[in-house]
Amino acid sequence: MERELATLDKGAQCCSWNYCGQRFAVGYDDGSVAVHDSDSSFSRSSKFKVHADGIMNIVWIPPEFGDAIACICIDGTLSLWEEVGEDAHSVSWKQCKVFESSTSRVLDVQFGLPTRYLKMVAAYSDGLVKVYELLDLLELNKWQLQAEFQNVVDSVSIFGKPTCITASVAWSPRRGESQQSRFALGFNSDLSQFNSCKIWEFEEAHQRWVPAAELAFPADTDDRVHALAWAPNIGRPFEVIAVASCKGIAIWHVWLNSGTDGRLSTEKVVLLSGHDNETWQLEWDVSGMTLASTGGDGLVRLWQSNLNGVWQEQASLDCSGGQQ
Amino acid sequence: MPGRPSEPESALIPLPTEVDVPLYHIRHGVKPPIFRVFISWSRGNVLQVACIRPLEDHLARGEANETSDDAGLGGKVVEVKLGASDPNISEAQRRRIIYDSIPPFVLLQSRRKAFLTMSRLSSSSSHPSTDWWQQVLEYSRSISELLGSSKISSKSVIEDPMIVLEPVDKPSGLKAAWQLMEIFYVDKNYFSWLPERLVDWLAEYDAILSETQMTVHSKLVKLQEKLVNLQVIENDPEYWEGLSSVLTVGWLDVAVKLLRLHGSYQLNQLDSRETENGLVETVAVLVSTMPRLRHDLPMGKLGQCFKTKPDFIKAWEKWRGQITKLDCSAFWVQCSHRPTREGLRNLLQIMLGNFNSISTACFHWMELFISHFLYIRPLTVVAPTYLVSCPKQGLGLLEILLSKQPVQNYPMILKNLEICQLNELYGISSCVKKIAGMHQWKHGRKGSGVYWLQEARDEARLNRIAQQLFECIGRSISDETFKQWEGLIELLGSDVGTAGGVGFLHRYRDFKRSLRQVRNGRPASAARQTVESLIQLMKSSYTPQRFWLPLLHDVVELLNWKDQPLLNVSETNFLLKKLQELSMAQLCPEFSETYLPPEALTEIRLALATNLSRAFLEE
Repeated sequence: MERELATLDKGAQCCSWNYCGQRFAVGYDDGSVAVHDSDSSFSRSSKFKVHADGIMNIVWIPPEFGDAIACICIDGTLSLWEEVGEDAHSVSWKQCKVFESSTSRVLDVQFGLPTRYLKMVAAYSDGLVKVYELLDLLELNKWQLQAEFQNVVDSVSIFGKPTCITASVAWSPRRGESQQSRFALGFNSDLSQFNSCKIWEFEEAHQRWVPAAELAFPADTDDRVHALAWAPNIGRPFEVIAVASCKGIAIWHVWLNSGTDGRLSTEKVVLLSGHDNETWQLEWDVSGMTLASTGGDGLVRLWQSNLNGVWQEQASLDCSGGQQ
Repeated sequence: MPGRPSEPESALIPLPTEVDVPLYHIRHGVKPPIFRVFISWSRGNVLQVACIRPLEDHLARGEANETSDDAGLGGKVVEVKLGASDPNISEAQRRRIIYDSIPPFVLLQSRRKAFLTMSRLSSSSSHPSTDWWQQVLEYSRSISELLGSSKISSKSVIEDPMIVLEPVDKPSGLKAAWQLMEIFYVDKNYFSWLPERLVDWLAEYDAILSETQMTVHSKLVKLQEKLVNLQVIENDPEYWEGLSSVLTVGWLDVAVKLLRLHGSYQLNQLDSRETENGLVETVAVLVSTMPRLRHDLPMGKLGQCFKTKPDFIKAWEKWRGQITKLDCSAFWVQCSHRPTREGLRNLLQIMLGNFNSISTACFHWMELFISHFLYIRPLTVVAPTYLVSCPKQGLGLLEILLSKQPVQNYPMILKNLEICQLNELYGISSCVKKIAGMHQWKHGRKGSGVYWLQEARDEARLNRIAQQLFECIGRSISDETFKQWEGLIELLGSDVGTAGGVGFLHRYRDFKRSLRQVRNGRPASAARQTVESLIQLMKSSYTPQRFWLPLLHDVVELLNWKDQPLLNVSETNFLLKKLQELSMAQLCPEFSETYLPPEALTEIRLALATNLSRAFLEE
């Protein structure tokens, strides 16, 4: 059933695949990044030093902007790197941009589907969300800060600065120029108002980001969000978003035709439990029908809804290495 | 709790509520403990899994002190194939199917082209004689044949009175799925009698609906084993259960045969069980005369065929009336054998469309789906719903799959684009071209990059490329640099570059070309053309100031043209004025110096003055 693809060097910390799954980048504790390619049977094609601190997370930039990655280091520095070359033999990775902040750390970063501009959302350890736009379609070095706000529904009240441990961002995967920009965001922080997953929408008329829905019941708004994933949609009248918190993995249905108050209709269809309440990653398959999750119990769990719309675990893959 | 369904009480289709979740152990060869697991979906049902070990300082002392091969190991990446392929089809057969499916597909494509041409030609006058779907149906049947032979035989199943189920090879799941697609998407012949087509499909493929759970087929297999040994068949509840099941899914011939195995038919029983036998036979007749909305039936299959809906409805209502009449008759009181009485009345309930009776008699959702068509809603709206919604979903999935295909090599890009073209997925096609363009551009294959971006009509990026070229050439204007970029300027075309940068580059290229012709000893006409290009360039507001001096320096030899002055008085004055402007600009701090020899300016001034004096004399 399984086939070994690659062996990682000591100190590996994180792993991330590109859009087609033919390349992956591995972040190391010494601040270096290795890139593995399938055309050489997933052997390492490059290794380069990104930062003095270890790499916490790697995110691939949409391929319309080349072969490029965003690296988040343990000290919260975010840097963008791209593969360039004059010919097939002189390919190397070069740094395009570094986002530094003396006051807070970048926890997660995600890129929207490219429409007119490439948008990047960065979630910071002080609960702030920053949306950047790429100004130059050919180069990844010119970014403009488009918006900066807190992940709270109530924009009038003043909240203190939370301390956030992790953040999860997921853009709506809907394609097409006419699609409105939307992303979901949740924090794992010590301030309850910041934690719950909110869907942010860009209001063209007022050129601002507004919270269009909160994916949590009033009693659960302080649940710390561990991971989230927005499912691809191939013909459903609603969107499906999976949100993992300390209570389990919630599957939400979201109708994008907002009501009169501008809020989106939402429905929590199930709360799936597993992973000893510590979910690391959620990943939808291309059809948006199977959800894979990983977590503290060392398992990969596969979830599907049956014909009655009932969510069930279909299989578990034990990766703990206990039965070699 | 893992594996527990979320809301079992709202179920539309009876499915098992408790499911054992299979657990698979991934043998990745990394010693525990595992610090993190990262996952990514790959092509098909493949999941890539990265298992990463904790850092040494996070490990317990004993675990960290390893001397084995694991010492330098940080983790492993494995791919996991989920789900199994059809075990009835060997790898060799699979390959044969793949290759043999190409000729019918090629034929279909060529017919499609011909059909489209014909449609265009005859659009205003008459319609083409053959409908397109018939061509697709022919293709579908060719593929269906490749996937395996059909099980349905021409004769009725049963010669031996005790055999209700013909032993056959297990049918192919692939063919079953293909035929369902054919039924729903292709064959318009069946639109008016879709339920009947599904009954035929189920008769052939019920055996493969489930490996582990009960189906009508597996129930019948079990009953068949029992039949040989049973003395008083009608006393066994499984006999009646089997009967209800086969009737529910429309296997009328099997139902009638089973009914006629009833003990009351035995000669020695007939006298004492006359009423009971009469009831059994009446039900058997009702089953065998069930109205069916279809053209014909295979030999041995039961029911009355009606070709049109009005005739069918009339017969259906009459038939239902007969069932209701029997259900209310007084003969049931006289039937003393309880299992027979209850069993037969349950069969009547099934035929009357009682949901509970139907739901109890079938096991798989597909069986329930088909029995709905047969007894609850025989004229129904399901097919159009499928037809409207599925193509959208199918195309949606195709779009996602295509956008996730690698575009590093040319044949792969062409293949993806062909699929986009066939399915009119222009958005994805443009996206594929953009990805290919950017990949090539960033990897030094500039020409190929520009080609793909042009194919994608990505004006924004092409404008940026034009701007980059413009800036690059502006920095150094040597012939060598220009040669390097000349091909790209050519490729970019003249339409690109709303800011005029490319327009300038094109005029500059023309200027350089005609200058080269002059230097290669071409006639005076080329020299005149060159100075005309120069005037145009100097007049254009898009020509950057830093280009002025190099441009004038390039034409010094033309200003001293032996035969005649090439510029008239006003043209020469215009250029002198520009030179004056440049001298003023040199005083500005942002003025960028050109890398010309120090005597260049003097040379130009002198040449212009000489040309002016000669032009005066000429005029």
